[in-house]
Amino acid sequence: MTIATLYAVCGVMLFGIGFYGVVICRHLLRKVISLNLMGSGTFLVLVALAHRTPDGQPDSVPHAMVLTGLVVSVSATALALASLRRFHRETQRTELSLHAERRGTDDA
Amino acid sequence: MNSLLWILDITLCGSLIWLACQTLATADLFKAIVLFIMLGLVMALAWARLDAPDIALAEAAIGAGLTGALLLSTLAAITKPPAPRTPSEKTEVDA
Repeated sequence: MTIATLYAVCGVMLFGIGFYGVVICRHLLRKVISLNLMGSGTFLVLVALAHRTPDGQPDSVPHAMVLTGLVVSVSATALALASLRRFHRETQRTELSLHAERRGTDDA
Repeated sequence: MNSLLWILDITLCGSLIWLACQTLATADLFKAIVLFIMLGLVMALAWARLDAPDIALAEAAIGAGLTGALLLSTLAAITKPPAPRTPSEKTEVDA
């Protein structure tokens, strides 16, 4: 087992934990955090696999992809959080209506 | 020396998994966000170990710092009770 394998397995586990959070957690802020966890796991797998070159020098193409992906994930997080703020301002809720308790009034 | 590096790597991976689990397990949202920022910083260490110092710098600045600030600001905006609308503003909006 090499260092690259160790970190790749760790990245896969991070992705799994994030996916669990996206599916299970009800609060929307927790869903956003879980999505970020999934992204971090993916980046960890990519960088770990870039480390498996025969000459010991890591491949630079996955590094550039991960660097771009970090910036894109931050902007996607900002968009999700802005949508969450708007949703909370309009409905006073932080969960989707799929999870909300069924009340008599639907206008809340 | 080699076994010391192995211990370092295993400790980093273990703390990454533990921080991710704790982020989802804590009931307090503020604590979850702080744990997520810590996870970003530990992730920066892991990338420095994987010979990617540029990604480590970007993660420490953007992934941990900027995302954490965005999450904390959103948490403050969500937990704060909304200001009641004044009647004039309400009629203006309704019109």
